[in-house]
Amino acid sequence: MPSLISPAERDFILKGIECNIRADGRQRPDFREVILETGVVSQTSGSARVRIAGGTDILVSVKAEIGPVQVDPETGDGADKGQIICSVECAPSASQQFEGRGADDLNNELTQMMTRILSNTSATSSSASSAAGINLSKLCIIPGQQCWILYVDALVLDYGGNLMDAIFMGTRAAIFDTRIPKTEVQDLGDGQFEFEVLDDAEDTDIVDGREDMPICITLNKIGARHIVDASPLEELCTEAKLVVAVNRSGELCGLQKGQDGGIEPSLLLEMIQFGKTIGQSLIKQLDAMIKAEADSDLGKRQRGEPIHKLGFFAQ
Amino acid sequence: MSRVELLSPEGLRVDGRRPEELRKITSTTAVLSQADGSAYLEHGNTKVLAAVYGPREARHRALVLHDRAILNVEFNVAPFSTGERRRRTKNDKRLLEMASFVKQTFEPVVITTLYPRSQIDIYLQIIQHDGGTLQACINAATMALIDAGIAMTDYVCACTAGWVEREPALDLNHIEESSDTSEVTIAMLPKSGKVTLVQMESRLHVDKLEDVLSLAGKGCKHIHQVIDKTIRDRAEELARKMAV
Repeated sequence: MPSLISPAERDFILKGIECNIRADGRQRPDFREVILETGVVSQTSGSARVRIAGGTDILVSVKAEIGPVQVDPETGDGADKGQIICSVECAPSASQQFEGRGADDLNNELTQMMTRILSNTSATSSSASSAAGINLSKLCIIPGQQCWILYVDALVLDYGGNLMDAIFMGTRAAIFDTRIPKTEVQDLGDGQFEFEVLDDAEDTDIVDGREDMPICITLNKIGARHIVDASPLEELCTEAKLVVAVNRSGELCGLQKGQDGGIEPSLLLEMIQFGKTIGQSLIKQLDAMIKAEADSDLGKRQRGEPIHKLGFFAQ
Repeated sequence: MSRVELLSPEGLRVDGRRPEELRKITSTTAVLSQADGSAYLEHGNTKVLAAVYGPREARHRALVLHDRAILNVEFNVAPFSTGERRRRTKNDKRLLEMASFVKQTFEPVVITTLYPRSQIDIYLQIIQHDGGTLQACINAATMALIDAGIAMTDYVCACTAGWVEREPALDLNHIEESSDTSEVTIAMLPKSGKVTLVQMESRLHVDKLEDVLSLAGKGCKHIHQVIDKTIRDRAEELARKMAV
C-alpha cells in the first residue's frame, strides 16, 4: 500500500482521467476483472474468496452459531430476530502498514460500514428484514431466547485498491454459500421450549433474503470527474470518495462520503445515479458467477465426483 | 471421559494414515502482489499464508543493528480458522510465543550480516487450523523467504512427531494433538542435519524420545523434498516466462 505519490504521478493520473483513459488502460466506469470462488474454507458455514485482478484479495467466512437473542432495552425490539455480527481484519501480508496495531483504524472503519449496511434493521419500517434485505426473523429459533448468530469475518490478505467493494462482493457470495442446519422446536408447555439441531448436511436452510443483499460501489472523485474501482495510486489522488450501497432492484441501501474533499450537490446526485447503474449490472454479473459455480458443484455432487476448490492454487 | 481410539487394532490412525505417514502437502509461492515474497502451504487441512517484506529500512531506529539485519515475525490467526469462532487479540501470549519460536528458528539460517541496518519482516496468517501449525508456519516461511530472494544457508524444514498410544507417529492432526498426546516439533537444516528448533510441551519418557526424534527427522527430510520440488518448479516456470 503506497502512502506517497509524486507530483508527476499525480499529474499523470489526473490528466489521464480527464481524457477518460487510466494508467491500466481502463476507462472511467470500468471495473477490473473480478474472480470469485465460494466454499473455500471447509470449517465454516459459508465462505468466499474474491480477487480483483490488480491484487486485492479478500477471504470472507460466515459462521452460524447459536446464541441468546439481543433485545433492545428501550424499544423491546429484537426478541424474535437473529443477528449478524461483522468484522473486518486487514492482515499485515496485505501491506506493511497493517503491522501491529497499524490496521486498527481501517479495521474499525470497514467493520462499522459493514455492520451498518448488513445488520441494522431499518428504523422506519417495522419489517423483519435488515437494510441488507436478509430476513432476520428466519434466523430466530425460540423467540425471546435463542437465535442463530451469523458471524461474518472478512480477512484482507492482499491490497490492490478498492477494498470496500471487494469486501461486499465477497460477503454477498459467502452469504449465498451459507447453509444453516435445520432446527426442530418442541413445546414443553407453560412457555418452555426445547430445540434440537438436525445434523443432516443435505437438508439445510439457506439465508432468507440473500438475493436482496446490496453491494457497494466506491466512486472516487478525482479532479472534476469520478471513477470506479480505483487502483492504489488512484486512491491517493482521490479528493472525495462516495460509497453507494445498492441492491439488485436498484434501491439505495447506504451512502457514505469519505476523505476530505467536497462534492457539489449536482455532481453528488449524478454520482449516486452512476453508482446505482454500475452496481446493478455488477450484481447481475456476480449472480451469474455464483450460479455457474453452484451449478457445477451440484452436478459434480450428483455424479459423485469430488469437488475440488482451487483456493490459493488458482493463478 | 471416554477417549478416542487414536490407533486402531490394525495400526491405522484416526484419519486412516499409518503411523509413519505424513499428510498431503501442497504449496505454491508468489501468491501476493504487495509482499516481496509470499507462500501458501496446505498441510492436510492446516492452511497457512506467509508473506515476507524486506530487507528494508528498519521501522524503529532504536532496534537497528549496525552489522546485521533484524528479523521480525508477526503471527495472526483468522477468527474462523478453528471449529469454534474465536477472536484473538494481537497481544495473545500464545501467538507472541509462536512468533518468537519462528524468529529464533530463522535467525541462524538467514545470512543477516549481508543486510546491515535493515529489517526483514515475516508475516504468518493461519487460515485453517488442524494441528501442526508451527511446522506449517516454518515451512511456509522458508518458502516465502526463498521467494523474496533472501540469502539463507539452507532450507529450514519443520516436522512434528509424537507418541500415539503404543508407537511413535509422524505429523499429528488436531484430534491427536488435543487428546493428550506428547508431541515434539523439530526444525532441521536438511543439508547439515542440524536442528534449529526443538519444542515439546507435554511429557514423554526419555527412552521413547530417540524414536520420536528420529521419526521427526525423517519427516523433515521428506518435507524438504516436497518444498524443494515446488520451489524448483516455480523457478523454472518463472525462467520460462522471462525467456519469452
